[in-house]
Amino acid sequence: MVSLAPAAPQGRQLRARAVKKLRPVAFLISPIGVLLLLFVAPLIILVIMSFRYESLYGFQTGWTLDNFRLLFTDPIYRGVAKDTIIIASTAMICQLLIAFPLSYFIAFKAGRWELPLLLLLVLVDELNPIVRIYAWRMLLGREGLINDFLMWTGLVDAPLDWLLFTKFSVILVLSTSWVNYCAIPIYASMKAINPSLFEAATDLGAGWFTRWRRILLPLAAPGVFVAVILVYIPLFTDFATPGLVGGTSSYMLGNTVADLMVAIGDWGGGAALSLLLLTAMAGISVLAYFLTKLNQLD
Amino acid sequence: MDPRLAGSEEELVAEAAPQSAAAPAARDGSVPLARPPLGLRVRRGLDKGGGRVYAIVFIMLLYGPLVLLAVFSFNDSIVFSLPWSGFTTKWYGQALSDSNLRQALRNSLIVSSIVAPLSVVLGTLAAYPITRLRFRMRGAAAMLLAAPLVVPWLVIGISALIYFNKTHVALSWHTVVVMHVVVTFPLVTVLVSASLARFDRTQEESAIDLGASQLQVVRYVLLPLIAPALMASFILAFSWSFNNFEITYFVGGFDQLFPVWVYSTLRHASNLPIVNAISTLVSIVEVALVYTFWILITWRAGARTSREKTETLMESFR
Repeated sequence: MVSLAPAAPQGRQLRARAVKKLRPVAFLISPIGVLLLLFVAPLIILVIMSFRYESLYGFQTGWTLDNFRLLFTDPIYRGVAKDTIIIASTAMICQLLIAFPLSYFIAFKAGRWELPLLLLLVLVDELNPIVRIYAWRMLLGREGLINDFLMWTGLVDAPLDWLLFTKFSVILVLSTSWVNYCAIPIYASMKAINPSLFEAATDLGAGWFTRWRRILLPLAAPGVFVAVILVYIPLFTDFATPGLVGGTSSYMLGNTVADLMVAIGDWGGGAALSLLLLTAMAGISVLAYFLTKLNQLD
Repeated sequence: MDPRLAGSEEELVAEAAPQSAAAPAARDGSVPLARPPLGLRVRRGLDKGGGRVYAIVFIMLLYGPLVLLAVFSFNDSIVFSLPWSGFTTKWYGQALSDSNLRQALRNSLIVSSIVAPLSVVLGTLAAYPITRLRFRMRGAAAMLLAAPLVVPWLVIGISALIYFNKTHVALSWHTVVVMHVVVTFPLVTVLVSASLARFDRTQEESAIDLGASQLQVVRYVLLPLIAPALMASFILAFSWSFNNFEITYFVGGFDQLFPVWVYSTLRHASNLPIVNAISTLVSIVEVALVYTFWILITWRAGARTSREKTETLMESFR
């Protein structure tokens, strides 16, 4: 350690105390500094920006609430917000319905397949998300493999149009992109359950439904909470998926923000909308937290 | 199926169906159990088989599209569909000679190679005081360090775009590097903190009691303990940076990186064989990297049984 205090009469003790006090600072100064400069400061600018009015080329500037007023009054935004909530919530529910039984299987029933399945779940996160979305787009298109296959089997006469550029495709691709994040925390919380609880319940005459309802669900609830926080919030801001496999009916708030910022150049509107999204997400986190608490009390 | 669970169910069945207790006792002299009735056996078989089928369908949903993409990247046709028109590797040649694509790949590799070590250093620097030292504002510091993991990348991306504009910083791959570090090093902090929290500090204290200097404690006690977490962090930081689209899209300026190249190429044309080819290549490299790393970690942790390996996996990625 570098010498940090001047050598006073009781210098040794004093210096030791000073070193002890400054040690956290020495460690934290660079990481916290980076965050303050490049994470907190930009967010503050974003908040300021959302209350600012700037005409083209910045001739006129001032404070305003118009950015927010427009978001609440314009029916176009309301429609996009409704679509976003529908798409994100449906995708979230689909993922929970898929991930919960899967986690149960991996945690309790998979045996020697437990490790390979987990590895596959973790590995998929390392693959490029844009490439994964693109692969689905190739499958779902009008001339895509799925339509080819359906035509070949004779199940349909004409290629299905609703497979791509619809809400369906966005929900499907969002679900498959995020379901691994949904499954891993649920698996971790289930793994912590002592299997003898199920035995005891069986001995006391509980059927599988009671076992799931009274043991599995309450004890896996923290995992479900983590999964919802981890997945539901990013679903609202995803703009790559609707950008690549979505159509006009699946234009989401994430796209709106991205287009306001890049294509239209209305930074005030973009900042205001993303601020609203951020607030809504904080609300979702708090809500999910209290719901889990309730469930545990029961 | 869990053997203990199975046992208890069989005992239940034995009680419930005494008429079948005449079944031959187990040969190894264990407690004679009744053979479960046919209905239960069928149901249990379905249970197990159903679970397996479910898992297979699930894995196909995750990996199937990529596997098909890889197969059709060798198809000698510019559309991605049947019938098969013949095997070719020409798309790979075209992809690798595309100058825009090569530039994007090079930019991405440079950015990730800078981001990964920087994130590991910053993340470890932050993890040590959070888990090992006591000081005022520790809770606040921990919250601030976790915040970039909770705030969506879209919001971080656009706030950075406005910020760099207002402070007159030109957008390029340099700004991509700093923003990737901002979102990646908190992940390293989480991984390393979890690893530090698992080892109690008596090992460090006894090393100090035995006369080790601060540096020796770090070198001979701490680093070996957190080495797996550091390796996991490095790989994760690299792939987070390489795969990151949202932030890169906003702060990349005119420097194109791989995910943005794929995105913008697809926005203009729908069906591009060279995208198939390069996507396949990148995916294979990513899978190979992570798999090698995993072998390294389990080998280093001395994990032999499948159970130990599962635990190592969960620990290094928690």
